[in-house]
Amino acid sequence: MLYDLNVPWSPTTPSTDLQRTVSFLSSLGYQTLALNHLITGHLPPQITNPIPSEPPFSVSSTTTLLRRCTLKLADPTQNHRLPALSSVYDILALRPTTEKAYLAACQTLTEHSIISLDLTVRYPFHFKPKPLMTAVNAGIRIEICYTQGVLGDGNARRNFISNCMAIFRATKGRGLILSSEAKNVLGVRAPADVVNLMAVWGLGRERGEEGLGVNPRGVVVNEGIKRSSFRGVVDVVYGGERAVEVPKAKAKTVQSGIGKKGKRERDDKDIADGTPTVSKRQQKKMRLEALKAGKESSSPSKESTPMGDSTELSEGASTMIPEANAPSTIKAQANG
Amino acid sequence: MVRLKNRYLLVNILYPGLDNKNVDNKNVDPKIPDVVVFNQPTTDSLTTHALVKGIKTEVSNLFGDHGAGAIAESIVVKYLSPATSTFILRVSRAQYRLVWAALSFMTILPIKNGKSCVFRVVRVSGTIRKAEEEAIQRARQLILKARREMAEQGDSTLDNMFGKADYGGDSMKDTLMVDREDSDEEDEDLSDGD
Repeated sequence: MLYDLNVPWSPTTPSTDLQRTVSFLSSLGYQTLALNHLITGHLPPQITNPIPSEPPFSVSSTTTLLRRCTLKLADPTQNHRLPALSSVYDILALRPTTEKAYLAACQTLTEHSIISLDLTVRYPFHFKPKPLMTAVNAGIRIEICYTQGVLGDGNARRNFISNCMAIFRATKGRGLILSSEAKNVLGVRAPADVVNLMAVWGLGRERGEEGLGVNPRGVVVNEGIKRSSFRGVVDVVYGGERAVEVPKAKAKTVQSGIGKKGKRERDDKDIADGTPTVSKRQQKKMRLEALKAGKESSSPSKESTPMGDSTELSEGASTMIPEANAPSTIKAQANG
Repeated sequence: MVRLKNRYLLVNILYPGLDNKNVDNKNVDPKIPDVVVFNQPTTDSLTTHALVKGIKTEVSNLFGDHGAGAIAESIVVKYLSPATSTFILRVSRAQYRLVWAALSFMTILPIKNGKSCVFRVVRVSGTIRKAEEEAIQRARQLILKARREMAEQGDSTLDNMFGKADYGGDSMKDTLMVDREDSDEEDEDLSDGD
């Protein structure tokens, strides 16, 4: 599987252009694409996801479309309500524009999973190994968008190449994601071309292939687990077959309590069956107590106990008879 | 004397751009599948000479005089087929990555009023024969793919009967491993005669 996690989307993007880009990407072999919404400035009070979950055009059946948000971050001290933002989108990325924001994105913020720098500008700071590798070790990936270099003018291209080389040097090629950010379909390149381009600038071929396959996959899977599972740790992969009848109470509890799923389910089942909730140990205890009570009550009249024994015997005998007359034995006798 | 080692790049020219919407609406049938549009034929005015010139310009843009000088000796367009928008380029082995990078940076055909396009290197090999074989195979696959897409629009009956077959195109490895090493020893016995 090949991933391109940055296909720019904005409310004004014409759907024909987007359709072309998506179709061209999937014909080049990219199978998972993320439509990216770039947010600059302040967040609206009500955070909603403007990207339609179903695109207005047909997509080939092998292509998966995700919805991603990139937030331009200038001042990390401002409250950006990142958790609320990340819960609305499939993937959350940050685009720091200042050194402060860059360091915060690398070291302190944890809600995002991608750091996507604009590499066409010259930054007044160096990309040092320490903050970048802290981020990579925490599971955050650094994104490199090759269209910035491919379609940019001379100056942008120069800055892009220099920034790329600095990042490759600082990370030794670890934890990178290569994606397009193609505002125009002409900026899209085939996977092998991208890997070669990065190889010319000093990223080893294996690392480049990782940047198109393994690393973005990790991001997609992690982000998926973060949203669907219990605290990002436990997820129901296969819940087993369910009975066809689903009582209303059950559906309600499943929605409310995810963490205590197992216990709730068992309780519900008992209610659904209509049987009292008595464990086997409890049953045994009750039986023993009943027996004890019976003995105590019967102890004054001693004749009753042999009676009970004899009935038991007779019962055993009576059960023996039908066994002997079971159809199979009769048949055997007839045959013999 | 040591043999000159070359690499042969098999390159496809793709046309993903939406050019001149008015023209598109009048002449192009909207039912044409995207695969066909992307792989449309190139104009005949693209000659091998123009192509080499364009590539050399781009290399010198990107890598300066040093790059341009390094490839000037070895670069040759061995084969150009405008009908399938395919060409085979010979470059010396030491510099093929420079040329490939330059191709990635080109966005228009290097002719007058050139259409916007994308150059995609689909195979790098040590022998021209392997590159040719790949070109033929790709052309065949392309026709099949186009037919399939047309059939998909009309909901093919066979697919309904037997379920969707897995036409899995290129696997990830095939898409990425464009420059697997074909040994150039293979053509030695062919070229020994001269």
